[in-house]
Amino acid sequence: MNQTFTKFGKLYSLIFTVAVLALQTPTRLTAQEKSATRGAAGLQVLYDFSEQKGNIIHDRSGVGAPLNLKIENEKGVRRTHGALQITGKTLILTDKAASRLSEAIKRSGEVSIEAWVTPSDLGLSGPARMVTISKDSSQRNITLGQDKDKFDVRLRTTKTTTNGTPSTSTPSKAVKKKLTHLVYTRQRSGQARLYVNGKRTVDKKVAGTLENWNPTFRLALGNELSKDRPWKGTFHLVAVYSRALTPKQVQVNFRAGPDAKTTGGPAIASKSPQEEFFETKVAEVLVNHCFECHDSASKKGKLDLSRKLTALAGGESGKVIVPGKSSESLLWEQITSGDMPPAGTPLTDKEKSILKKWIDTGAVYSTERIDPVLYAHGVGDSTLWVQRLTVPEYIETVRSTVGVDIEKEARALLPPDLRADGFSNTAYNLNVDLKHVNAYSQLAEKIVSKMDVLKFAARFSKSKKLSTDDTMREFVESMGAWIFRGPLDGREERTYSGIATTVASAGGDYEEAVSFIIEAMLQSPRFIYRIESQQGDGSQWPVDGYELASRMSYIIWGGPPDQKLLNAAKAGDLYDLENVEKQIQRMLEDPRAIEHSTMFITEWLNLGQLDDLSPSAKRFPNWEAALADDMREETLAFFKDVVWDQKRPLADLMNAQVTYATPRLAKHYGLKPKGEGLERYDVSSVPFRGGLMTQGSILTVGGDDASMVTRGLYVLHGVLRGTVNDPPPGLDTTPVPSKPGLSHRGSAEKRISNVSCGGCHKKFEPLAFGLEKFDGLGTFRNNDEHGNVLREDGEILFPGEAKPVKYATSAELMNLLAGSERVQKSLTWKVTQFALGRPLVAADAQTIEKIHKSAQKEGGTYAALITSIVMSDLVQMTKTEQAE
Amino acid sequence: MKKTNISRRTMLKGVGAATIGLPLLEEMLVSTASAAAKTDVPVRAFNVFFGLGIPSPLQTEGFDGVLEPLKPLGDKLLIMRNVDQVRCDESGINAHYDGAAGAFTAEPPDGEAKSGGPSIDQVIRESHYPKGLPKGMVSTLIGGTFFRRSRVGRYVHSYNMNGTVAATIQEKPRDLFDRVFGYISLGGDDTDVRRRRLKRSVLDSVVDDYKFYTGANSPLGAASKSRVADHLDRIREFEQRAFALKNTAEGAPGLPPRSNVAHGGQADPGGEGIDMKLEDLRTEWRLMADLYALAIQMDRVRFGSLTFLAAGERLRVTGDYKYDGRLIYKFNDEKDLRKSGSGGCSHEWWHQFNEKKKNEQLRAHAHMKMQEVAYFLSRLDDADSKEANGKSILENSLITISTESGDGRHNDVKRELSGIFHAITGANDRFKTGQIMDIGAEGLDVYNTMLGAFGTKKRMGPEDRESNRIEKILA
Repeated sequence: MNQTFTKFGKLYSLIFTVAVLALQTPTRLTAQEKSATRGAAGLQVLYDFSEQKGNIIHDRSGVGAPLNLKIENEKGVRRTHGALQITGKTLILTDKAASRLSEAIKRSGEVSIEAWVTPSDLGLSGPARMVTISKDSSQRNITLGQDKDKFDVRLRTTKTTTNGTPSTSTPSKAVKKKLTHLVYTRQRSGQARLYVNGKRTVDKKVAGTLENWNPTFRLALGNELSKDRPWKGTFHLVAVYSRALTPKQVQVNFRAGPDAKTTGGPAIASKSPQEEFFETKVAEVLVNHCFECHDSASKKGKLDLSRKLTALAGGESGKVIVPGKSSESLLWEQITSGDMPPAGTPLTDKEKSILKKWIDTGAVYSTERIDPVLYAHGVGDSTLWVQRLTVPEYIETVRSTVGVDIEKEARALLPPDLRADGFSNTAYNLNVDLKHVNAYSQLAEKIVSKMDVLKFAARFSKSKKLSTDDTMREFVESMGAWIFRGPLDGREERTYSGIATTVASAGGDYEEAVSFIIEAMLQSPRFIYRIESQQGDGSQWPVDGYELASRMSYIIWGGPPDQKLLNAAKAGDLYDLENVEKQIQRMLEDPRAIEHSTMFITEWLNLGQLDDLSPSAKRFPNWEAALADDMREETLAFFKDVVWDQKRPLADLMNAQVTYATPRLAKHYGLKPKGEGLERYDVSSVPFRGGLMTQGSILTVGGDDASMVTRGLYVLHGVLRGTVNDPPPGLDTTPVPSKPGLSHRGSAEKRISNVSCGGCHKKFEPLAFGLEKFDGLGTFRNNDEHGNVLREDGEILFPGEAKPVKYATSAELMNLLAGSERVQKSLTWKVTQFALGRPLVAADAQTIEKIHKSAQKEGGTYAALITSIVMSDLVQMTKTEQAE
Repeated sequence: MKKTNISRRTMLKGVGAATIGLPLLEEMLVSTASAAAKTDVPVRAFNVFFGLGIPSPLQTEGFDGVLEPLKPLGDKLLIMRNVDQVRCDESGINAHYDGAAGAFTAEPPDGEAKSGGPSIDQVIRESHYPKGLPKGMVSTLIGGTFFRRSRVGRYVHSYNMNGTVAATIQEKPRDLFDRVFGYISLGGDDTDVRRRRLKRSVLDSVVDDYKFYTGANSPLGAASKSRVADHLDRIREFEQRAFALKNTAEGAPGLPPRSNVAHGGQADPGGEGIDMKLEDLRTEWRLMADLYALAIQMDRVRFGSLTFLAAGERLRVTGDYKYDGRLIYKFNDEKDLRKSGSGGCSHEWWHQFNEKKKNEQLRAHAHMKMQEVAYFLSRLDDADSKEANGKSILENSLITISTESGDGRHNDVKRELSGIFHAITGANDRFKTGQIMDIGAEGLDVYNTMLGAFGTKKRMGPEDRESNRIEKILA
């Protein structure tokens, strides 16, 4: 390589330092620039031609199984270190299909081809193939070629031909017999660009998606697979990416030159390695060993390590962290000397090395504040689980897909989904038992029996032919794409159209065949599960259009995409964020969005517990079971009112001065009953009502005794996302009953002042002080059954804050909650968790912070939050696993 | 070849160990015992079909050519050449399909899933068992190994009087076993059994789909795969419970192993053909042949058909084919044809047939199929198949051996349809055997002559057609 590079070195001049964009020819690189490394985000194959002998060109990408190239006719090439010159007839190709490469590109919807080349013949046409993934002269996925003095790229999409035409060409005179850096990029949105020596020469749209890429094609250099489009010139470097390199990345690679090292690995890094290290390693050590004394609340030595600003500013002894220099950092000195931590478990050697490495690599503190809740149980398990449809999702999916209401049967037959991490749509917990399989089978039959099968089938095919040689396969393809929420592959078409032939062979007719096909599809993995591609290179990959459509619809509607959304996915429109946002707005206006949002509130507040409410009849002789239903309806109606009718910020759920009650519930609450059903009540003149926490659905969580411990923990975990250690083993947690002279508040204060208990109890019991005047069923009173005078004043310590805030009344507590950024963020976290169907982990924190800020900027409403979530990387991207 | 030894002896041995009084097994014992007590033998008729026929010029070579494997049974067969089937021609469809559909029905197909008329075995069944078969017997057993499945006539060869299929074809050895031994049909009313078969087919498709998502090409990550694998396990448990054999007993043979060849939709990727190892194919064939023969020997079935490949089958076969200790051919269709996809399938050897050339690969394929057909026939001629009259089931039954066009040039309908290989057994001395006969008559007349020999009143073909009795086939 060096020899060749030197040969062209004279071409490099200092012009480069003046204006990179103006470059027409490469320039000499400065030492600093020359040491620059090439970016490798999305790299799939890399050939640097470093071998001087042999007929193999090794793939140096380090991604997956190497796709080495073989030179068919060695006499047709001349190899030097770092270059391969084509001098005669030859073909350089992979010895197998470039499936890994094509699949990765097909999946991402994006592609870049980068080549450092020196053309030697300006008369070539065809175009002459420089880099191609193709089968022959008329079938390809992509080809970078030369057509006389133009560079030309043919890209197969659903809107171009199988030959990739119309192509994208540079203007004339782009090809010169000089060392040239060429980059073609094509984004998911269709935006295609061709850069020559760092300069963008073409910028156009190539519509369609890459779904029709053929993974059986090989990758070849210097000629077409059919050997009839030879190229002449020298290759210095060839790289293919499953990403559209950004203009900046193109510049970096151009500047780096053809012999630069490639770094950064294949992953597309949404975070720097330092940020990742801080979030997944450093923060956990700080939380577990330092925060007891050095968080915002304790701040010993005036050092608060829980916040970026204060941590880097230091304490009363000055700066404790000197980025890049652990030896000069007091923090490190105190740890190595053993002075810190003064008590508790000392740091392990591994933990020490983490902190040292952190400081020495720049002490990147990637978040404004470390939230201890993220590390309460380690950094969290981010295992990727396929999501089975929950029971409500199954019901809605059946309804939307085939127009059958199967709710009654499904709820009777399917086992209920169990809650995990606060929600019952948590993917890892959505397992399957024999009862599910039996239920899916029975339900499929029942669903089909309720359908007008022929009418349904007519949506997808006018033909009623059973033969797979005629229209059955096309019919299955069309109907399947609707039922499966995305296109079928050949395997699936064969599987399901095969049922038609089986039915035919049994003497059955078209209707019977369609019925059985639907029955099978309703039990298939692509119906029961939200199947997504999770294979990749271990990094975050964009989801494809159909996967995104399903993510959007299940997040917003709890059901499948409608035809408009599927059409958008098919057209590739969802690769454009503007279109995604338009779709979100459209979907939020659909009544299904409202219904599904009530699932969130139901899950978040665990309203299902009301089904099991059975208060002591002796203690509450006036209780009737219907009140539990009324309480649930109250909360749901209240939620719809605040969130959808008034479109208020979500945090206003804490103090909105309105509620809904049946006459029965109004009487229970001490309100003047009105109407006959659920009625809206303005409670602005009722000082003790107003906000979720004052509703029976929440107040009943404390049981008959209105336990302050239970209520306090409910607020701490559910509303503030706070953490508290588990009670010591063997502790009697039986609630202490109130008695004359000792109210619940009195018992709580005793616990808080107790040395053994107070450390934890002070974090959550005061949160329930403001609720003491509500009995176990939510009735307001000023004295308990023993005549003790009840109080509603207290104080609240928001997690992460230094000092508690006092409140005098229940209403003031509700206002504090509504105005708290912590509560607002908690709502963001809860909605996000529900949307994703998985517990959130430390690695999500940065993205959720962005979601939160974005949503707050737009008013902090549910709609704004959902929009921010869907637009975020948490929905647009997916973690992948490295292929085995 | 993996051979599962299933015979009447082993079956009865299993039965012997079972508790007395189990309905299925008891009935089987009674059935065979009563058959043995009678001096006459039951009327039976079966069709054996093989896909991709034998070009008529090769039929003239007798047992020296591709028919060699039939030679040991030659004295029990009547091979009929030059049977005119031109009336079966359906415009627009080549002779692969209508040739197959017409064999022993004498009618062109009626659409995708019907025949133009009944098959000969069903006419005889209707005539001899107008009130149905003895209680508990499978009225018609249709089994077979086939892959191309776009039209039913390619692989089903037993049709009711109205042209509909006489029974659901069992394409997996397990299904065939279950059909015969696992569930007792109450005679003619097969409605419930049929539904069970279709439901099972649905479940099989679902299982295939779940298997994909747990396999090497699954797009899922490890945890997700394990979840789907759990689901698949539950489905299999469900399958066992929902479709487990009924009325079987401890000691009776278990289900045959799952086969290694593709079934259902996976078996036919849009007519493009599939790769096939010779060993897998023959293992499947042998298992089906054993099970079908066992069903006949146990007198569980008296009518039906067994298929060895669909008409116009497309397979890319690989593997060494040996016969009688000598290597006949090393199959590698794709390599020999130098084409992939449908162009690399053995079917192409038929398209390339030229009587002036060696046709080496076509011969080898045809020879191999004849060996498999001969194997099945020989199972009905072995020690387990001796009947009260001292003859074998093969000799006592009507077994028609049919195929499709053997001339893939598709440029002369008459030549193709009149050259379709035909063979029959003696049917308890009703027909001549031990000959290769040049018929020179229309198939319809041959078939109706056969029906006449069985004493059936019903005749095939148009009612107003003047019938010609083909005396020379009669014993």
